Amino acid sequence: MAYYIRALLITTFLLSLPLTYLLVWRLKYTLSLTRPKPIRHGRRNPREPTHLLIVLGSGGHTAEMIAMLERAVNSPSPQSAQSLDWRDFAHRTWVVGEDDELSATKAKEFEEMATSLTSQETLMRGKVRAYTDHGPGSYEIKKVPRARAIYQSPWTSPFSVLRCFLACWSILTHGVYPEDVSAMQHIPADTKGRDYPDIILVNGPATGTVMVLASVALRFFDYKGAATRFRMRTLYVESWARVKRLSLSGRILAHMVDRCLVQWPLLDAKKTGPGRAEFQGCFV
Amino acid sequence: MSTSRQKIAFLTTGATATFPALIEAAVSPSFLEALAAQQYTELAVQHGADGQQLYDRLASKAESAGSGVKVTGFALDKTGLGRHMRRAQSSNNAEEGVVIAHAGSGTILDAMRTGVPTIVVPNPSLLEDHQQELADELEAREYVVKGRVEDLAGALARAEKLRQRTREWPPVNSGTHKGLKGILDEEMGYLD
Repeated sequence: MAYYIRALLITTFLLSLPLTYLLVWRLKYTLSLTRPKPIRHGRRNPREPTHLLIVLGSGGHTAEMIAMLERAVNSPSPQSAQSLDWRDFAHRTWVVGEDDELSATKAKEFEEMATSLTSQETLMRGKVRAYTDHGPGSYEIKKVPRARAIYQSPWTSPFSVLRCFLACWSILTHGVYPEDVSAMQHIPADTKGRDYPDIILVNGPATGTVMVLASVALRFFDYKGAATRFRMRTLYVESWARVKRLSLSGRILAHMVDRCLVQWPLLDAKKTGPGRAEFQGCFV
Repeated sequence: MSTSRQKIAFLTTGATATFPALIEAAVSPSFLEALAAQQYTELAVQHGADGQQLYDRLASKAESAGSGVKVTGFALDKTGLGRHMRRAQSSNNAEEGVVIAHAGSGTILDAMRTGVPTIVVPNPSLLEDHQQELADELEAREYVVKGRVEDLAGALARAEKLRQRTREWPPVNSGTHKGLKGILDEEMGYLD
């Protein structure tokens, strides 16, 4: 009997080496900085609906996210081409903590403000080109269990993180249409559901980190073709409060996200920071 | 005497975390005397739901000490604190006062946008004590005064000096960077 057990252990050990190598290779491929982006035909093409997902942590995270988005849509002025037109994103998904009414309210107020701003482009379109515009688009606010409560030590969070992870996975895959549909150049207008988010924008709360991890897991396992759709570009903006050192979320995500942006020059990866951190000015 | 203008100090502990040490330091006879010495007429305190009991206890003690500074307080304002911070701005019947805030990034941004001299006090009980760095950096760049709970009166004196030097946020030359829109456009793959 001992012989078989030994043989089994040795075989398992020998198989685990190439298996580990394959898993690590797959992970590196998933997190590659050069993964392709989709080809777009025009900015607000009704046949290529765009989808932005934003995670609002509570308190300062929400305040910074809203301040950042407000500055982007209002500056230099709502009419100029350098300001962000909120309607460039046909659908916006806001993810908030399940007991965070304040963030849900702030999201709603921002949506109402931003979709009513009229850019110069839209003014010039007029009625003639209305068919190329999909209007103010739509948004929804979704709730997830918190990954970590304020004051909770990160070491005690595995259960809360797991609950949050499952909720994030289900939000990302909710209503996602199958691969063969997404592979079409023009999605038929009557298709139900939508594609994975084009961009996932997070700015530091644990819930945001878990959302990014869920999107990486989806791409790792190529669930419903997540790896081949070239979506879910992850955009991490480090908190403005982090001047000399990345936050815990930043340290975890710095090597995983497509873009990691810091708001103080000392954190730029070329100088001292880890991973892919870039300084592109302050956003708030 | 009755025609003297108001001068309001607005204190906020934020909406997310409690900061009882700041409330205790501010609603104390010694700090109220320091306020009175600088001709302040009112200290308005936003103490959060958790700070209600503490504030009530301290406010009644402060009234009996009789410094001449009116003390008012409230727990939260769901519509935001901008309105309350602006009470500290100068106007027809008010001299410019001061905003004393916990060093949360959202609160600091709101306070800097009002243009009123701001004292930021880091709350040391938060994850990795993350409020210290921002307070230090902004004080070094002369946007705010960094205060400690142990020496609020000293911070008040430094805020008076800051009054002449207040700088605007966001900084004027910040338009040279890509901005969030630039990054989003890059990630979406728009070629225009």
